[in-house]
Amino acid sequence: MDAFGMGLVAAMGALATVAGASEDIDSDIGSQSNPNSQVQLAAQVGNPHRIYNKAIAGEPPSNALWCATACIMAYVLIEGFHMPLLFATVAGASLAALFDGVMATSAYFGRSASQSRFNQWIYLDIVRYTTPSIMAHVWITSFCVTLIAVIQVYVLTPHHPFPIPVIGLIWGITIGAIGSSVGDIHYGGEREFQWRLFGQGLNTMLSGQIVRKAEAGLRNSIDNAWFCAKFGGPCTGLGFGLTVFCDNWRTTVFDPVTQAPYAIAMGVIFVILMNVYNLYMEISARKKYGPYPGYKGDIAA
Amino acid sequence: MDQLKGFTFTPQQLRMYGIIGSVVGIYLTVGLNVLTGTKLFSFIGSIAALFAVLWGANAIRRICSYGLGTGVPAMGMLCTGMGCVAAVFGLNLAGRFGIEWAGVIITLIYAAIFGYVVGVLCNKVMKFNIPIMEEGLTDGAAACTMAILAWSVTISGSLSYNAIIADVYNTGFLALIFILGGMALFHPFNANLGPDEKQDRTLIDGMMVGGLAMIGVGICSLVTLGLAPAMLTIVVGFAIWYYFYIWYFRLTTRDAAAVVGTGLLPPSAL
Repeated sequence: MDAFGMGLVAAMGALATVAGASEDIDSDIGSQSNPNSQVQLAAQVGNPHRIYNKAIAGEPPSNALWCATACIMAYVLIEGFHMPLLFATVAGASLAALFDGVMATSAYFGRSASQSRFNQWIYLDIVRYTTPSIMAHVWITSFCVTLIAVIQVYVLTPHHPFPIPVIGLIWGITIGAIGSSVGDIHYGGEREFQWRLFGQGLNTMLSGQIVRKAEAGLRNSIDNAWFCAKFGGPCTGLGFGLTVFCDNWRTTVFDPVTQAPYAIAMGVIFVILMNVYNLYMEISARKKYGPYPGYKGDIAA
Repeated sequence: MDQLKGFTFTPQQLRMYGIIGSVVGIYLTVGLNVLTGTKLFSFIGSIAALFAVLWGANAIRRICSYGLGTGVPAMGMLCTGMGCVAAVFGLNLAGRFGIEWAGVIITLIYAAIFGYVVGVLCNKVMKFNIPIMEEGLTDGAAACTMAILAWSVTISGSLSYNAIIADVYNTGFLALIFILGGMALFHPFNANLGPDEKQDRTLIDGMMVGGLAMIGVGICSLVTLGLAPAMLTIVVGFAIWYYFYIWYFRLTTRDAAAVVGTGLLPPSAL
C-alpha cells in the first residue's frame, strides 16, 4: 500500500459518486427502468402525457452499452494512437452520448407511435429539449466510469489484467443495477404518485394514474430531474461510490496476489457490516414512523 | 407527408434472408480480403450482420409478443450470450479439424442446436409454455451468433480462430459486440413495444441499430486493421444508420396518433 495508490482509490470513489448521481438523473429524465412501466401504462389507462419514454432495455444493459462504447473509443485512442488518457476518455464519453441520443429518440418515437390507439402524441419539442439533457448526463456517467477503468488498468498498481472495455461493461452493469434499485424508487414510487400520502407504496389500482400536470402547465421530464436530483440521484451516487471505493480499498491495502485471503475476508466483513446497518435502519425507521396511517390490517388474499 | 408503403415478411422469409445473407456475406468478406491481399473489404462483414439482425430481431419480436414485457432485453441478452459461446466453439472446432473455411457453417448449426435445447429447457423445465419458444430461440441464437461472427470478422478481417481470439476477445472488443449486438436484436421490439407495434417499423429500427453497431465496430477496427479499412466501415456504417434512421422516423410519423411540434395534451385528455 502506498499513499499514491490510496489517493487514486479515493479519486475513483469520488468519480463513482458523481457517475452514480448522473446515471440516476439520466434515467429519471428519460423515465427509464422502474418508472417506465407507469409512464407506459399511463396512456393505456386514458392518461396521455408529455413525459419522455426512454425505453432502452433496463438500466444495466443500457449503461453497460454507454460505458463499453466510451471504453472502446478510449482504448482505441490509447492503444492505437497513443493519445493522453484524459483526452481519450473525453472522446469516448462523447461517442457514448451520441449513441445514447440515437437510442433515446428511437425509443421515444417507437413507444409513442405504438400507443396511437390511446391517442399518445409525439411532441417534437420534448425530443429537442429533453434529449440533450439525457445525453449530457450520459456523458458524465460514461466519462467517470471510463476514467475509473483507465485508472484501474493504466495507473493503479497492480494493473488490472482485463482490457478496459470489459471493465467498462462490468461497471456499467453495476451502476445501472444500483441506479435501478436505489434511485429510481424515488421517481417511480414517489414523484409519479405525489398526490398520494407519502410512503403509501404503489397500489395496483393506481397503475398508470401518474401526475401529468405541474404547478404551472403540464409536467415534463426536466421537472422530474429537478425533483430527483435532491435525493434519488445523490443516494445512487453514494451507493455506487461506496461500491467502487470499498472494493478497490481492500485490494489496495492488501496485495491481491500475496494477501488474497485478507482481501476476501475484508470483502465479507464489508457485506456483513452493511447488512447489519440495513437491519438497524429498517428497525429504527419502523420505530420512528410506525405503520402507514391508512393501514387497516392485512387484507386476506 | 405522403403515405409510406410498409412491408411484411414471414418468419420463413426472414430466416432464409438471414442465413443466406450472413453466410454469403462473411465468406465474401474473407474471400475478397484474401484475393486482394488487403483488409479493405472487412466492412462487408457488418453488412452481412444486418441480415442476421433482421432475422434475430423478428425472432425476438415473435417470442416477446407473448407478453414478455420486461423479458425483451433478457431474451436478447440470452441470445447474445449463446452467440458468444457458439462463435468461439464453432471456430475452434473448425480450426482443430483443419477446416477453418467451414467455421461459419459449423457455428451456425451448433448455435441452432444450442438455441433449440435452451428453448426446450425454457418450455419444459421452467414452464414458460410459450408455443414458439423453441423455434424462436433457435432463430434468435443462430441469428445472434451469425451477427457476432460477422462483426468479429469485420474487426479481425479474417475467419481464423486465433486471429478472432487475439483481435476481438483479448482486446475486449467483444464487450461492445456483446452489448451492442444484443441491443440490435432486442432494442427494436423493446423500443416499439405497445399494442400498435408494426413489423416494418420494428425491423427498420433494428437495421438502424445495426448501422450504429457498424460504426462502433469500425472504431474498434482502427486498432486491428488500420486507418483505411476502419474508416470505410465507419463511413458506410454512418450512411446505413442515417438512411434507416430517417426511414424509421417516417414510419413513426405514419403510425403515430399525431406528431406535433409542440402543444398541450390531446383535447380528449385535458
